[in-house]
Amino acid sequence: MNDFETIIGLEVHAQLSTESKIFCSCSTEFNSPPNTNICPVCCGYPGVLPVFNQKVLELAVRVSIALGCRINRTIYFERKNYFYPDLPKNYQISQYKMPLGQGGHLALPEGREIRINRVHMEEDAGKLIHKEGYSLVDFNRTGMPLLEIVSEPDIKSPQEAFEYLNQLKLILKYIGASDCDMEKGSLRCDANISLRPAGQTEFGTKVELKNMNTFRGVRAALEYEVKRQTAALNRGEAIIQETRLWDSQKMASAIMRTKEEAHDYRYFPEPDLVDFFISDECIDKEKSFVGEMPLEKQKRFRSDYGLTEKDIDVYLLNPRLALFFEEVVRYYSNPREVSNWVLGPLLEQVNALKSNFETVKISAANFSKVVKYFHEGKLNNLTAKKALALSIETNEDIDEIILSQNLAQVSSQEELAVFVKESIEQNPKAVTEYYQGKKESLQFLMGQVMKKTRGKANPKIAKELLEEVLKNNRP
Amino acid sequence: MNIDKEARQIAENIYSKKTSKEEVFRFFHSRAKKVDSYLKSFVEMYDNFTPVNGDSSLGGLPIAIKDNICIEGKRITCASKILSTHVSAYDSEVVRRLKKAGLIIFGTTNMDEFAFGSSTENSCYGPTRNPWDTSRVAGGSSGGSAAAVAARLVPFALGSDTGGSIRQPCAFCGVVGFKPTYGRVSRYGLVAFGSSLDQIGPITTSIADSAHLLNIICGFDRRDSTSVKKDVPDFTKSLSSEGKKFTIGIPQEYFGAGLNEEIRAAIEKVISLYKKNNIKIAEVSLPHTEYAVAAYYIIASSEASSNLQRFDGIKYGLREPSRNLEELYCRTRKIGFGDEVKRRIFLGTYSLSSGYYEAYYIKALKARRLIRNDFNEVFKSVDAILTPTTPTPAFKIGEKKDDPLSMYLSDIYTISVNLAGIPAVSLPCGFTKSNLPISFQLIGKEFDEETLLSLGSTYQSCTDFHKKVPPLR
Repeated sequence: MNDFETIIGLEVHAQLSTESKIFCSCSTEFNSPPNTNICPVCCGYPGVLPVFNQKVLELAVRVSIALGCRINRTIYFERKNYFYPDLPKNYQISQYKMPLGQGGHLALPEGREIRINRVHMEEDAGKLIHKEGYSLVDFNRTGMPLLEIVSEPDIKSPQEAFEYLNQLKLILKYIGASDCDMEKGSLRCDANISLRPAGQTEFGTKVELKNMNTFRGVRAALEYEVKRQTAALNRGEAIIQETRLWDSQKMASAIMRTKEEAHDYRYFPEPDLVDFFISDECIDKEKSFVGEMPLEKQKRFRSDYGLTEKDIDVYLLNPRLALFFEEVVRYYSNPREVSNWVLGPLLEQVNALKSNFETVKISAANFSKVVKYFHEGKLNNLTAKKALALSIETNEDIDEIILSQNLAQVSSQEELAVFVKESIEQNPKAVTEYYQGKKESLQFLMGQVMKKTRGKANPKIAKELLEEVLKNNRP
Repeated sequence: MNIDKEARQIAENIYSKKTSKEEVFRFFHSRAKKVDSYLKSFVEMYDNFTPVNGDSSLGGLPIAIKDNICIEGKRITCASKILSTHVSAYDSEVVRRLKKAGLIIFGTTNMDEFAFGSSTENSCYGPTRNPWDTSRVAGGSSGGSAAAVAARLVPFALGSDTGGSIRQPCAFCGVVGFKPTYGRVSRYGLVAFGSSLDQIGPITTSIADSAHLLNIICGFDRRDSTSVKKDVPDFTKSLSSEGKKFTIGIPQEYFGAGLNEEIRAAIEKVISLYKKNNIKIAEVSLPHTEYAVAAYYIIASSEASSNLQRFDGIKYGLREPSRNLEELYCRTRKIGFGDEVKRRIFLGTYSLSSGYYEAYYIKALKARRLIRNDFNEVFKSVDAILTPTTPTPAFKIGEKKDDPLSMYLSDIYTISVNLAGIPAVSLPCGFTKSNLPISFQLIGKEFDEETLLSLGSTYQSCTDFHKKVPPLR
């Protein structure tokens, strides 16, 4: 048995989140009845011409920035020619020689970077539905805007491929470029894999894997292929350059075509479209949507705020919540307490209102007061939550709510001493029992103090005071 | 009604109520019904008079449309068996503009299949005959439109020009054919042949009518990304060269061997007429002219081979019964396409294939740039270029059918213009001894249709070749 090194490159197709298709104004809505989101343009009727949707370019630029690609400022489309019934024009408008983005990279959680070869735009094909003895074609998906993201052969294992995909999905969702829903087909992945004896510098013969429907499927197909190629190489057999289809039921792949059957796509510049120029304004605008990448944010939230991994994970998936958290911290620099209140009481309120965070109105300044007053003891857990709920409901300032609702916690010794004295005088039985050693009586007397202050007594100070007075009065 | 009248004169009569839209329609319809039984210029004629609301200087006039331009609810066949049943779901931009201007769509005209050809012999409906000599071709590919206008079966028509497909048949039939600057007229709804070369243009009896029709069809269309956002002038204001000083260039490369002597003599007369009208004549050179035909056939065929892939029997048009997908593609395209279409698909597919792409397609693009540079250079010193439109007058039906190369050479003077994307017009300037029309071509700068209209109208105000009507049975 020899040791082999695995080399993997991934080709991901992500559907960009636009309202209309890439070259016509048809809707991109998912799950519409077959052949309802179609027009002469996306069905390739005689005489029609494509018109490029600028929104596609914007999102594609955004992704290229997020992946650290060099952006070609003048771009054009090319035709990829091949016959297939789901491709109405029998050519796909794509980018070949001059992709939008080149030379990027994607950081994996463990710190390894996978280089991105290219990012380019193209139109999707339709969907074939095979029946007994005939086939149907649905053109709804034809012309959906796709971004093809091709990695360099930098991935070293099926598990690393899995991590790459998860990280890529996180980024695309995070910057609002794609919903990356594999079930809707808005993210698809093909893989190239080759093995070589450890230490060898030339690549082995690569095999292309297709038809994986989940990230786990990609990992499983790659694991299967590593085993298959390792076994073949150990038997002294040569690997044949081919394309294999993954069967998720059988958990095995089978040959689809060999290199000899590969298409000659006869790429040439799409004469129906002109060159497009990407302006500085466009780049600046899209940069503002990208901001910090998830891994960078994770690092920063750890080091700057000292949050728990559990809290950080929530913020990575909810960039707007993270933004709110950071704003609040700017008003009140106690990140852990702020995070407890953002992910605790605030989200509880949001859920209670059956609302979502985006529509709930509370300013970071106002929210910071709730946390601050709680931490300082001005509000207790109960009154702080009450003030928060009222502020969300009425949009009023926390200070005013505390005043008008008389929510401020009673913490002054003198004020509390009056209530403590009253409670002791009015409950001689409990006092006697306390001196006889019944601990529960202290709780009862605390309850009386709370009752008299309508819940506003600072429990810690009140308890200390009560114990002190009882000690001093011990018969 | 009188067939001598130009389109805008008929329109004036409608406007001043000397005649009615319906009377005009009936006149042309009954004349066309009679004459076209042997001329075969129409694919389909719409028999019902349906006036359109909308107004313009040409309102109420019937117009014929080449059968590769979409009209909503009407058959669009490109004279091909593969599309013979296809009905268009939408109006092309030019047809939308014509309807808006109150013109009546009269019918669709015959052409070479998918506009591949120079004689209208490559039509699944058979050839259109030349009205001046019915044993001869009308030229192509817009042969139906040119013959119909020449025979006065319709006041004017639209054609499309990829390498001379408007100008060459107009030259053969003795009418005016105008190819505007690439990007001037929307291609939306024109079935593509060579997308980077195709342009729709008017076919008329006079240059004045061309100007009126250009006013209607030119202009930016957001549905055609190659149409140009540029103000369109009132072209009718250019119909006089008074007060303007023009220089016309004569390129030596267009007067070499192969040019018919009668045509050469007729062109000499055009040149002396211009001289008499105080227009300067200058010898110029377009040194890369010899590469035009080769570059053109590679670029146009490459684009066409891709453009025609959509005709596959899956979505519309002909579908031959088959046992499997591959057979469906093969049988449908084998039976649906004619020989010339197949020839060009082979040529284009080959030129784009890996291993040949650099040697053919890329090289042709380089030649195209050199040809464009030639024109730019010459236009630094002249306002327009004058050449013959064709090397010979109309040839006999069948004469070149089996000799594609000599057929391709009948576009030798028109092709460079499409490669450069500039405007050009063909105007009748005489007849051969056997009474076949002769024409000359004026080539202009990019987006300078106006100079061509000025020079054309100067010529037509001094001559009456464009007023001659062929003697019809």
